[in-house]
Amino acid sequence: MENKKMCLALFSGSLDKLTAAGVILSGAVADDMDVDVYILLQAARAFKKEIASNKDEIMLAENPHLRNEFFESLRRLNVKEWQDFFKDAKSISNVKFHVCGLAGKIWGGEKLDDFIDIADDIVGIGEYITAAQEADVHLFI
Amino acid sequence: MTNEELLALTGAKVVDARGTACPGPLLEAKKAIGTINTGDIMEVMSADEGTKRDIPKWAEKKGHEYLGTVEESGFFRIYLKKG
Repeated sequence: MENKKMCLALFSGSLDKLTAAGVILSGAVADDMDVDVYILLQAARAFKKEIASNKDEIMLAENPHLRNEFFESLRRLNVKEWQDFFKDAKSISNVKFHVCGLAGKIWGGEKLDDFIDIADDIVGIGEYITAAQEADVHLFI
Repeated sequence: MTNEELLALTGAKVVDARGTACPGPLLEAKKAIGTINTGDIMEVMSADEGTKRDIPKWAEKKGHEYLGTVEESGFFRIYLKKG
């Protein structure tokens, strides 16, 4: 039987939403879903190598004053960091990360090499729309 | 199965996921089930409350048999048979 498909439009570059996307991805791969993640505006910034490697660059969009408390809770609960969720999901199932070309350019990312290693390609919006139409589950975060 | 019968199961693949919060135990179970043979038993140890419902539902969906859960002090053991 063919695996079910999830299309995840990841717009946010906020730490909590990146983490939520990682948790959802984990559930999807545990369920053997194929997942296409489209990395849109703020998420494309988070995916840039120099941003992703600097924790001070990834903020909480809501309740920014709780950022340290959030980090501390993740540590206490032994919850992975968002990039590790994404890497782990990719190692378990068919998960692809597609960076929006426009979003990349907005943040100065022109080439695939400008983004963290899990990024698979740079795509246009048409591909996202097609994936959303064909998916069994479509989420926007 | 009774708690005594579950605890008496031998040769089970044991997955100790007590150190992780959701979705850690589910992912650990997913990884481990791929390493055992059909008909083999797997025991997942978890201290994450949501896992108690998550793993049985996941197992049923994936064609594995959920055998039962034993509550211990501060954690629980979930038993599955790979389908």
